[in-house]
Amino acid sequence: MATLPAAPLETIEQFGPHLSYPAGARLDTAEEPDRQVKTHCCFCGQQCGIQLKIKDNVVVGFEPWEDFPFNRGMLCPKGVRRYLQGAHPDRLLTAYERDAAAPGGFRPLNYQAAVERVASEINRIQSAHGADAFAVLSGASLTTEKTYLMGKFARMCLRTANIDYNGRLCMVSAGAANKKSFGIDRSANPWSDIPQAEVVLIAGSNVAECSPITTNYVWQARERGAKVIVVDPRITPIARTCDLFLPVKPGRDVALFNGILHLMIEQGWIDQEFIDRYTVGFERVAEHVRQWTPQRTAEVTGVTEKAIRQAAQWWGQAKTSFLLHARGIEHHSHGVQNVLSTINIVLATGRLGREGCGYGTITGQANGQGGREHGQKCDQLPGWRDIDNPEHRAYIAKIWQISPEELPGKGVDAYEIFRKIDRGEIRGLLSICFNPKVSLPDNNFIGRMLDKLDFYVAIDFFLNESARHANVVLPGSLQEEDEGVVTSAEGRVIKINKCVDPPGDAREDWRIIQDIAQALGRQRGFTFDSPRQIFDELRRASAGGVADYSGITYEKVERQMGVFWPCPSEDHPGTPRLFEPGSWNPVAQGNGPFYFADGKARFNVATYAPPAEDVDADYPLLLTTGRVVSHFLSGTQTRRIGPLVDQYPEPRVELHPQLAEQLGIADGDWTTVESRRGACTLRAQVVRTIRPDTVFVPYHWAGLKSINQVTIAAQDPISKIPEYKVCAVRVSRASSPPAYAGVFEPQQ
Amino acid sequence: MNERICATIWGGAATAALALLIVLGSRRLDHFDAALIGYTFATLFATFGIAYRYAMWLQRPPTWRYWVRGWQLFLQPRLLGRNLIQLARRLGVMFALNAFIWRRGTLRGAAHWCLMWGCVVAAAITFPLVFGWVHFETVPGDLNAYRAYLFGFPTMAFPIRSWIGFAVFHGLVWASLLVIIGVMLAMKRRMTDHGAAALQQFGEDYLPLIALFAISATGLMLTASYTWMRGYAYDFLAILHAITVILTLLWLPFGKFFHIFQRPAQLGVSFYKDIGARSEQVACRRCGEAFASRMHVEDLIEVERALGYAYELANQPAEHYQWICPRCRRSLLAIAQANLWTGLRGGEPLLLDAALTDAPPATAP
Amino acid sequence: MSVPANHEFFIDPGRCIGCQACVHACSECDTHRGHSMIHLEYIDRGLTTQTTPVVCMHCDSPTCAEVCPADAIKRTADGVVQTARKPRCIACNNCVLACPFGVPKMMSQFELMMKCDMCYDRTSTGKKPMCATVCPSGALYFGTREEIEALRTSAVPTNRFRFGGQVIHTKVNMMVPANRSVEYVDVASALNEAPTGQDIELNILTDRRPAATTT
Repeated sequence: MATLPAAPLETIEQFGPHLSYPAGARLDTAEEPDRQVKTHCCFCGQQCGIQLKIKDNVVVGFEPWEDFPFNRGMLCPKGVRRYLQGAHPDRLLTAYERDAAAPGGFRPLNYQAAVERVASEINRIQSAHGADAFAVLSGASLTTEKTYLMGKFARMCLRTANIDYNGRLCMVSAGAANKKSFGIDRSANPWSDIPQAEVVLIAGSNVAECSPITTNYVWQARERGAKVIVVDPRITPIARTCDLFLPVKPGRDVALFNGILHLMIEQGWIDQEFIDRYTVGFERVAEHVRQWTPQRTAEVTGVTEKAIRQAAQWWGQAKTSFLLHARGIEHHSHGVQNVLSTINIVLATGRLGREGCGYGTITGQANGQGGREHGQKCDQLPGWRDIDNPEHRAYIAKIWQISPEELPGKGVDAYEIFRKIDRGEIRGLLSICFNPKVSLPDNNFIGRMLDKLDFYVAIDFFLNESARHANVVLPGSLQEEDEGVVTSAEGRVIKINKCVDPPGDAREDWRIIQDIAQALGRQRGFTFDSPRQIFDELRRASAGGVADYSGITYEKVERQMGVFWPCPSEDHPGTPRLFEPGSWNPVAQGNGPFYFADGKARFNVATYAPPAEDVDADYPLLLTTGRVVSHFLSGTQTRRIGPLVDQYPEPRVELHPQLAEQLGIADGDWTTVESRRGACTLRAQVVRTIRPDTVFVPYHWAGLKSINQVTIAAQDPISKIPEYKVCAVRVSRASSPPAYAGVFEPQQ
Repeated sequence: MNERICATIWGGAATAALALLIVLGSRRLDHFDAALIGYTFATLFATFGIAYRYAMWLQRPPTWRYWVRGWQLFLQPRLLGRNLIQLARRLGVMFALNAFIWRRGTLRGAAHWCLMWGCVVAAAITFPLVFGWVHFETVPGDLNAYRAYLFGFPTMAFPIRSWIGFAVFHGLVWASLLVIIGVMLAMKRRMTDHGAAALQQFGEDYLPLIALFAISATGLMLTASYTWMRGYAYDFLAILHAITVILTLLWLPFGKFFHIFQRPAQLGVSFYKDIGARSEQVACRRCGEAFASRMHVEDLIEVERALGYAYELANQPAEHYQWICPRCRRSLLAIAQANLWTGLRGGEPLLLDAALTDAPPATAP
Repeated sequence: MSVPANHEFFIDPGRCIGCQACVHACSECDTHRGHSMIHLEYIDRGLTTQTTPVVCMHCDSPTCAEVCPADAIKRTADGVVQTARKPRCIACNNCVLACPFGVPKMMSQFELMMKCDMCYDRTSTGKKPMCATVCPSGALYFGTREEIEALRTSAVPTNRFRFGGQVIHTKVNMMVPANRSVEYVDVASALNEAPTGQDIELNILTDRRPAATTT
């Protein structure tokens, strides 16, 4: 395969993104919905409760769900408009097959024929090149049942080691660091602990735009007198009114937190009793941070000494506190180190496992938490089990009724899969719920790799930009077309309820996977009739693991408005707050609250290193990327929802007026951001709310508007997360408008 | 002069004028049908009420300002020609077609258009007949033809059994049918639309529909009675019809129907806006963006003063709050609140005249 | 049907994060479906991320209604200043220009002013307005006095706003600091004031604030 089957404009004409606006029954105030379903938003990891209104098998509107305890009816613009993704003109209603002669490059194909073609291609590739030559890329917006099934499908049906998921772009740094420090990867506290905190430290999280509902929790803490400290290179809306703003230079977070810990130790603002009793490794960390004097910290981070001292004092002297971080410190080639450095300042104060004393990472995707627990990661089996651990392998093999030897070993991460394609080791790919062409860094390379595959099958509800490269596209299901559980940022397992049936030939994703298994003649273990049956097997598979779901039932989730895992038995209420003194867990067996055999948390030395690509004379500025409030991830959904596109139509490059003046760029000018990998020309937005040495571009757009043409594919050595948050660029005023100007609509 | 006295005088004058016209138009009541006296008196009462209320309404400062300005601008000799053309166009688009109402909603547009034209046709037929301004006589020597008389002057004649005759003598039937269709459409909207359900009131929104329906239905019953039922219960129906009409006439000045008389102000306003758009625009004293015509802002300042408001400012870039554009007013509310929190919440007032610093942009540390 | 007397609207623009959930949700309300009546303003995006939502404040004696030549704006007994009555409004724009809070919107295609009616279809049946239900930051809140007192310990509501010589009383409350006795929010005095926010203090080249903020 060399190229796309049709010119982008032709494909867009046929498959979108087109915009959907309220019309018909969605505008008619005389319509009475057939029913109203309590479910959750399909977008971010907060998983706000929402009631969807259904009329004639179409979601026609919403009603806030004020009883759901997390958000009490609150929603962000994406939640308000999420109903517009259904009954969309771009919706895939049949299977498609690549055909350059067909409109848009794809011709409709009978569903069964498509599934059979997929099976025969899998067979062909695997018999010629080995089982591992066929890879699977999955996603963390799927329900936990589906993510469990994807892992099982890859390992047991395809027998490939190469499955990974888009949480690789999202949660893995936090997950790895959490595992290293606590032995468990979950937010330590429910959000209800935030308002009880005296100090809330938000590191690398644009809370207001990426997890808007959390704003209210932070403000509730402020109402009780809490100080809010924000660490970010940009003055985001939550940073605007915070009590202390630390405009850290991108890629220098470790230095900042090590510097804060240095001062805390120097001033005695630590809980020695907690450290002695509940942790190991403090001395080595204390020794390591001795070099991080305020002066050095200030030099490296670009934050004033005064501000660093203030942060250390507030954080150090607080009685209660909550530390939140997100992709801002995690999307780095040393993302795990960044997270470890934040955990160190939490552990040093002993403010964990108590009311108002908390720590958490804010998951990005709908099932960013649940999607990383049950075996679609390349090194993981259900229940957060380790694929290299013989005991864990044996346990899962028993559940799946296979021998442990049949289970493949550890595969490679999502980006490495593309490098393996480059090397010819991977020849075939199945993707679901993943749009790597937009979301992976250096994505011109990704496009070439998708074209290089012998066979690529994509499952999705819209023809996303990656699926345009596919040989076969299978019509999957929207979130509201299926049921199942997801786990929110808090660790709360909640229930997605089915609102409508998949339209046309589209069907629930788990059915499609099972249909492929059947066409392969390996349907054993893939004959579930419902998500509930999958969940029941998942409960058994997770039993005894760290992420223990065995005591969770659909009924209990509905009754309790969510159940926090671990929940090891049906009479167990779930565990909203981890690490409470005296708590029991299956790893420590009563030795302590943390998930290690001795029950103690680990201090880990967090070492500072500059970003993989630092500035130099040729590329003198730092680029950082992120989200805007009205769009979500690769924009497959939100770039099809008219009112959300109207709110923020096209990416803009944010830069400080000092920089703009030096570069001769005025607000609204076409501006080129260029790295060693690629360039992107966008309109400038000149704002004083960003460091003068940094430019920011949101990443939700595709093609020539995609900033991931520019970002770097450097990865954290432990978590393999790509370094989206910092690379070296040069910025200039464009001499002419980009090729897309006047050709593509904003969302395209 | 006390505004009530003024309005009473206007009401009395209008009523007297109509009475005089009735006497003259019916040739000293020669053509006046005494059986319709109830209708006539109800109309006279309604005329008084409408004129009274209209006069009261006109005397309110904003209305009076628009009334005076609207006529001044409309009658400017330089613009009169253009204005007349615009007037004709707007009468067509706004009033005959109800274009702006259709845009608010198809059902709403259809309902209003049917109701409006039903009422217009009915009124155009009944009032002249009741007042004796129009009557029909057989053409002498031709028993099959009628001649219409307007204010006692003969006009065209037409055969009774022609389509013209049929249309003319059944005009009220057509009008009633239009009104009933309109009532049904409006009722449907009012009974199903959740938005309408929240805002509507019985007296304001349902009663007018019920009244129009009652008039139309009883009118049609009269027709049915003499056409197909040999006048069965005709007298009773005639009284019933009279009651519905008279009650509606008496209510005309008070309820929703008064909008019929207020609505032409829309035309005056449209000319005011035309001229405003072509005249000097004023810039907001805070952001510098043009936001309205100087005429409109100055008129509003005067109206607000007359109403007793004191939006005058001292020691500010504007001497009256009216010189600040709506967008800036919205922003100022937030700034004023934020300033109350200075020192308590993070974030300091930022300098508006922030010039760029002389420091070169940062690069490597 | 009317809005229960103990249900009140409380706004705190300082909390606003500019997400526009209110703007989107507003257009889902039955009394103005498809048209958003709330305003969301960036105060000065070049300078700060400060934003503010503006709903109708529902004045006790509404300037918009008083300057209306057509008597189209009515305040119901529960204190809600309703959107223009459709048969009467003649689209003159007086209310749009006169409202001291900048609230009414002119829909010229309909020859009609429309404005926030506090989601009368919802509030008159005991529900909350759309904007205040979804607002994720608490900038817009609808509930009882007891609820707001429990939630906002550092703030108290006020409903008096000053514009030069004019003090306006409103049904909607604004949150002001509890420990400063605030007689009214002096809106017009903010004409000489700047937006608020953080500024970036850097020591990249020097250990001083950028020149623009040193004064």
